[in-house]
Amino acid sequence: VTVGIIDYGLGNKRSVAGAVEAVGGEPLITGDPALLATCDRLILPGVGAFGDGMANLAGRGLIEVLDRLVNREGRPLLGICLGAQLLARESTEFGHHAGLGWVPARVEAIVPDDPALRVPHVGWNDMIQTRPSPLFRDIPEQSLFYYVHSFRIMAEDEDMVTGSCDYGGRFVAAFQWRNIFGTQFHPEKSQRHGLTVLTNFMGL
Amino acid sequence: VLCKRVISVLTFNDGVLFRTKLFEPDYRYTSNFVDAWSIDEIVMLDVTRPGKGNPDNFAEMVREFSRRCFVPLSVGGGIRTLADVERCLELGADKVVINTAALDRPAFIGEVAKLYGSQCVVVSIDVRRTPDDRVFAEFARRPTGKAPQEWARQAQDEGAGEILVSSVERDGSLQGYDLDLCRKVVDAVTIPVLICGGAGNWGHFDKAFTVGGASAVCTTNIYHFTESAIRSAKQYLVKAGIHVRT
Repeated sequence: VTVGIIDYGLGNKRSVAGAVEAVGGEPLITGDPALLATCDRLILPGVGAFGDGMANLAGRGLIEVLDRLVNREGRPLLGICLGAQLLARESTEFGHHAGLGWVPARVEAIVPDDPALRVPHVGWNDMIQTRPSPLFRDIPEQSLFYYVHSFRIMAEDEDMVTGSCDYGGRFVAAFQWRNIFGTQFHPEKSQRHGLTVLTNFMGL
Repeated sequence: VLCKRVISVLTFNDGVLFRTKLFEPDYRYTSNFVDAWSIDEIVMLDVTRPGKGNPDNFAEMVREFSRRCFVPLSVGGGIRTLADVERCLELGADKVVINTAALDRPAFIGEVAKLYGSQCVVVSIDVRRTPDDRVFAEFARRPTGKAPQEWARQAQDEGAGEILVSSVERDGSLQGYDLDLCRKVVDAVTIPVLICGGAGNWGHFDKAFTVGGASAVCTTNIYHFTESAIRSAKQYLVKAGIHVRT
């Protein structure tokens, strides 16, 4: 299975490629629309700021090709962390930014209801499986995953939510909207369970 | 509930894994010791002195670790420019650890954070007792006169995502973490604080969380990273009522 790891100048694409390779996939890190079109699966990684992420996607002419591959041709897409957030309608990270708007969600700052909780939310935390998802195959209930983020995804349509996490307030940890998947946690950094998520994504 | 973290800090001299004592190389090990499954996170620091060794040797080790370890990898030692940061991330690092460059020019923290996000920036603070706690730069040799809690707060304001605080005197001492230092820094910031230097037994981990208020404990003792050591540390912590990933 060829997994196109979308290169838009942000994100730990090497780590994602390493994890894909470890579970038997063929990673292809590229920002070339023609090459992305040849991939069976697409991953939108991402570490960084929302505004920069959207600007980079647009600046590299990737939005149009992804829209075609994902929304019209139905290619499975997995967004990770910032990559998942970019799929939302909008974000209030450092101002207001429009997202890709492919899933009914918005992104907002983590403001914990318990002041003792530190931000960014860094480390291993639960992912409560709220709805069955093909990505959760062979993953025990309440498994731990690695999170590192200061902003969180909030669903505007609960039907999209497949997993949630609570850190001073509940947020979307995993979602599925048609063929579009997203995880706030980093499967490529979440040891065995994370690798299982990637295996499941490739096996869709 | 967010777990407390146990982090291995691995120090490399010219690409060779060492443990340190008082910030100097002590014993030599190989990467075969590494148990990449039980540990929560790995920090790799290049402690090669300026002008010595070949930087490619450390780079090769980072690449090797990132290929085999599916936990977050932070890389530091000699990071001074955005190009250095970019190179580390290309090698497979998830975060960079910045120390002297941030002290010399605090705005550097913000420049990295703006490009890669705050979560990518760990500011490392080396502290010596003189007799008050003071921050030191350049392998803890150059005094800066700064108080650790004030520098930590400034680093947070500049855009740091985490603070790694190390006590030089405790390094390799096995006497336990400097809990007062840890608490001081924890109380000064709202970002996670990682404590390093002095862990000698699992009880020291426990104290760093409960007394020091740390979000993560670091061990530079390579034996803590061998075979079942981290697993047994975590069993100890669970019994002590600390929430960790097992």
